[in-house]
Amino acid sequence: MKKIHIIGIIMILLAGAALFMASEDIATYSTFAQAESVEGKIKVAGQLVLDKEMYYNPEKDPNYFTFHIQDVEGTEKKVILYGSKPQDFELSEQIVLTGRMDGENFVATDMLTKCPSKYKDDEIFLRESDI
Amino acid sequence: MTEEIQYIGEHLIFGQIGYFVIILGFVAAIFSSVAYFFATNKEDTPQFNSWRKLGRIGFTIHGISIYTTIALTFHIMIQKYYEYSYVFEHVSDDLPFRYIFSAFWEGQEGSFMLWMFWHIFLGAIIMFRAGKWEAPVLSVLMAIEVFITSMILGLYVGIYKIGSNPLALFRDTSDMPLFNNEDYVSMLSKFADGLNPLLQNYWMTIHPPTLFLGFASTAIPFAFAIAGLWRKDHKASLQPMLKWGLFSGAILGTGILMGAAWAYEALSFGGYWAWDPVENTSLVPWLLVLAGIHTNLIARATGYSIKSTYLFYVLTFIMILYSTTLTRSGILGDTSAHAFTEMGLENQLLLFILFFFFASIAFMAKGFKSVPAPETEETIFSKEFWMFIGSLVLLFSAILITFTTSIPVYNKVAELFGYDLNLTSPLEPIKHYNKYQVWIAIFVGLFSAVSQFLRYREFNWQGHQKKFFIHAFASLVITGVLTYITSLWIQLGTWQYALMLFFGIFTIISNLDLITFLGKAKGINLSSFIAHAGFGLMVIGILASGLNKSFISTNPFAQRGLLPEDMLNENVILFEKEPMFINGYEVTYEGDSIVDKTRYFKVNYQRIDKVGNRYESFDLYPNALYNPQFTKIATFNPSTKHYLNRDIFSRISGLAPGEQDIEEAQAIEDSLNYYNYSAFLNTPIEVFDTVKVKEFGLDTTVIKRFLVTIKEVNRSPVHHEYKPEVGDLAVGLKMNIQFPEDNKSYDMEPVIVLRGSLLFNYAAQVNQLATKVKLNEKTLDAIFTPEDELGYQSFELKPGDNLNYNGYKIDFLNFEKEPTHSAYIKTDNDIAVGASLEITDKEGQIFNAQPIYLIRNNKPFIIKDEVSNLGLHFQFVNIDPKTGIVTINIAQHKKLNKIDFELAANSFRNDYIVLEAVVFPGINFVWLGTCMMMLGLFVGMGRRLREKVA
Repeated sequence: MKKIHIIGIIMILLAGAALFMASEDIATYSTFAQAESVEGKIKVAGQLVLDKEMYYNPEKDPNYFTFHIQDVEGTEKKVILYGSKPQDFELSEQIVLTGRMDGENFVATDMLTKCPSKYKDDEIFLRESDI
Repeated sequence: MTEEIQYIGEHLIFGQIGYFVIILGFVAAIFSSVAYFFATNKEDTPQFNSWRKLGRIGFTIHGISIYTTIALTFHIMIQKYYEYSYVFEHVSDDLPFRYIFSAFWEGQEGSFMLWMFWHIFLGAIIMFRAGKWEAPVLSVLMAIEVFITSMILGLYVGIYKIGSNPLALFRDTSDMPLFNNEDYVSMLSKFADGLNPLLQNYWMTIHPPTLFLGFASTAIPFAFAIAGLWRKDHKASLQPMLKWGLFSGAILGTGILMGAAWAYEALSFGGYWAWDPVENTSLVPWLLVLAGIHTNLIARATGYSIKSTYLFYVLTFIMILYSTTLTRSGILGDTSAHAFTEMGLENQLLLFILFFFFASIAFMAKGFKSVPAPETEETIFSKEFWMFIGSLVLLFSAILITFTTSIPVYNKVAELFGYDLNLTSPLEPIKHYNKYQVWIAIFVGLFSAVSQFLRYREFNWQGHQKKFFIHAFASLVITGVLTYITSLWIQLGTWQYALMLFFGIFTIISNLDLITFLGKAKGINLSSFIAHAGFGLMVIGILASGLNKSFISTNPFAQRGLLPEDMLNENVILFEKEPMFINGYEVTYEGDSIVDKTRYFKVNYQRIDKVGNRYESFDLYPNALYNPQFTKIATFNPSTKHYLNRDIFSRISGLAPGEQDIEEAQAIEDSLNYYNYSAFLNTPIEVFDTVKVKEFGLDTTVIKRFLVTIKEVNRSPVHHEYKPEVGDLAVGLKMNIQFPEDNKSYDMEPVIVLRGSLLFNYAAQVNQLATKVKLNEKTLDAIFTPEDELGYQSFELKPGDNLNYNGYKIDFLNFEKEPTHSAYIKTDNDIAVGASLEITDKEGQIFNAQPIYLIRNNKPFIIKDEVSNLGLHFQFVNIDPKTGIVTINIAQHKKLNKIDFELAANSFRNDYIVLEAVVFPGINFVWLGTCMMMLGLFVGMGRRLREKVA
């Protein structure tokens, strides 16, 4: 067997191992119901509840923003984001949150909002707020 | 129904020509591809020349057709013919001409045309320069063009729409009641979307054409690879493949780099790379083309790795198509921050990629058999061995990135089979990618360093061995020392990052060694040196800026000690003119100004050393960009202070709600509880209000108590929103509001203006007290007694005379030939004279007044003056030119009434910004390193180009 074949086999094994490990990182969307029973972080997709209160008062704290979202099962939770309120947040069609449940509230560490674009064919710009 | 309407104002001819040339271009591409196909298969027969001629004719017609389509699209965009939907969607009346190009490639149709523009441009070079390679390469390129042209066809086959025509009429693409109006065209300009304000900057002008040239350029080494397999001329294909591979690597890399620079410099992403799917799918083809370049170099030097070279170039192009499919089909919607929305082209895109995927497999299956196998095996002490492993590492990187980026695809595929996988990108995507790519960087560093010490086709390892070990050992020692020194600057944290830094430095040192000692600094070594040393520098920059990024804007007084570790306080609130001390800086928001549709916020930074001395001061201008209607803020753009060793990046992450959006401002104004008050001049009144406030989501109330004094009535008031016009009756109240709790007092001046029969109200806000004051018509009533109720008395006076009126001594001092008065705006033919009066009251206090007598267009006018504190009114009603005796009317209103005002104590402060400020150390290493990598590729390409001439 040529050396290059041995190297090749080693590399294929390595690639397989790396891909297997990488696949462990792939997340699935959860619901708030599932989040209650999970220790670590999860991802939840949902919609902003517009008739519930949205609170952001930078005069008090520029890194504290709360709002309510409803997940696919219709469960509503108050979300706390330790960051600033994103531009055009009210218009977002869908919100993807990463974070964990803390008592009755969901504490988000990352948020991706999807806004409808009036510019039909061009890029939709979403705003990410990493905190 | 609509067919019967005779529309007016349409310019149909461009659409009609466009429709024709697009179809012509499509047919010509098929024709050319087929003709070149036969030319290739009949290369050594007499028919070759005629097939090739037909192929060239087809190529030329295709090129002219597409260029005509592009020209027509530009024409309708420049002329702003809104009856075309592409114009309507991307242009608006207020769009500056310099953004026409950006608007052109903002949409999918435009970007497809841009892509074809470059294919045709590169294809023309091939036609003139590629000799025997012309026919197969252009056959492949024209086949690619068939698919891209189909994307802009705009034909309907049954219910299926093929492509989207950039020259389609608006009324053909959508159905609106507006089209029942025969003159709809004239109404469209009001509604035109225009270019997204986020894209109105010069990056949008230069980034897409470069990136698309990069995209288009990958088709050339791909076409040469197919051509090499097709003609079974594997040796001869290596030279042009390498030349075009280097070109592609350099341009595509530059395009990606520009995107990174755009994200860092002008967008609010807060970094140059975020592992976003759109970024990833353009990085992957670049990694693959680099792998191809390396195996191509091996193949040219040794004859090994020809198959790998073909494979890498084919994969590069397939991954370009994959990238196109992902970003343009809308599939990335959930995971990417910037992808196109879907346009119904998904099936066409899928067909595009599948066709070239299977065609490539067919060519490789047929052609690989004829690739010559090297007679001996390469030794592990040869350069080619480690270069090849390095290429595999790049492939690894591409596979891992693609694996995670494709998560939405897995969902889609599972959906076809009836499963709902519900997968999404990793919880911490940046950590996820970094975890694997750190190893890629380590191995690329290692192999690119080691292979520099080795030689191609090593037959005399024994002879070279000693030299290798000496150089490798010396380099390792130097690298170790430098890594230690660098690690004092960069806090590496983990051993993986330490290893990454070590091998990054190792590749710089070994490449330095190569050009100074081992090899002679020939051109070929120079390009490799520049590129690999650039890689090493980039590694240092990535580690420094990524690991040691720090937030200036962390509030040291953050209230919550309960914060989990991963939640940093990244934003800080700055009130106008109130300095804040944070992390070694004194930061002050100085104020804002508006230029065009951008509002700049001046933020002053002063560095403070440990003793408290300020030793450096600079201003940054992060800005907010408004939408075209100027009604709300579309986006915030950063401003960055560049130093050699670090950058200070700052951007606005929020403003007071009323400052962001006119509707919001109106809603806030409507929510204010104004109460009426009235007070005599200079008599303080007490104002109470109970205000509801929120403290972390809880409702509480606060009682606010103020002392308010009206100091003076101002007849020529100034207010930042008020622009005076002729004939305005404007009044301002100079007021003082005192907050007894801290004994601070604030001045303000609300203004009310009567213009014709309209009242304009300019409220004054005291931000520190969150209190707003405005005036109303009652204020005017209190100040203005109607003239006929005043009861004027007439007096005749000469300059120097004086008189006594109600106990006031009134001196007529002299005439004023150039009178000024807040209500008087001078015109050229005026004859105006003022009477300067000095009024002394019982206490001996002196006041001045200057009523004016004016003749304009042969008609006399009088402009009265008033001493509001005394309630005295003066009219200059007549002048006898012979004697110089004037008639002055004087009146005093009985007593000054109480003056009305309205006060709302539940307003919101609006004089602040929420700021994010980040220090990126060593970011210049990233730019220097990446630019050097591109330069290395360009230098390498330049050398290959000269080779051909020689």
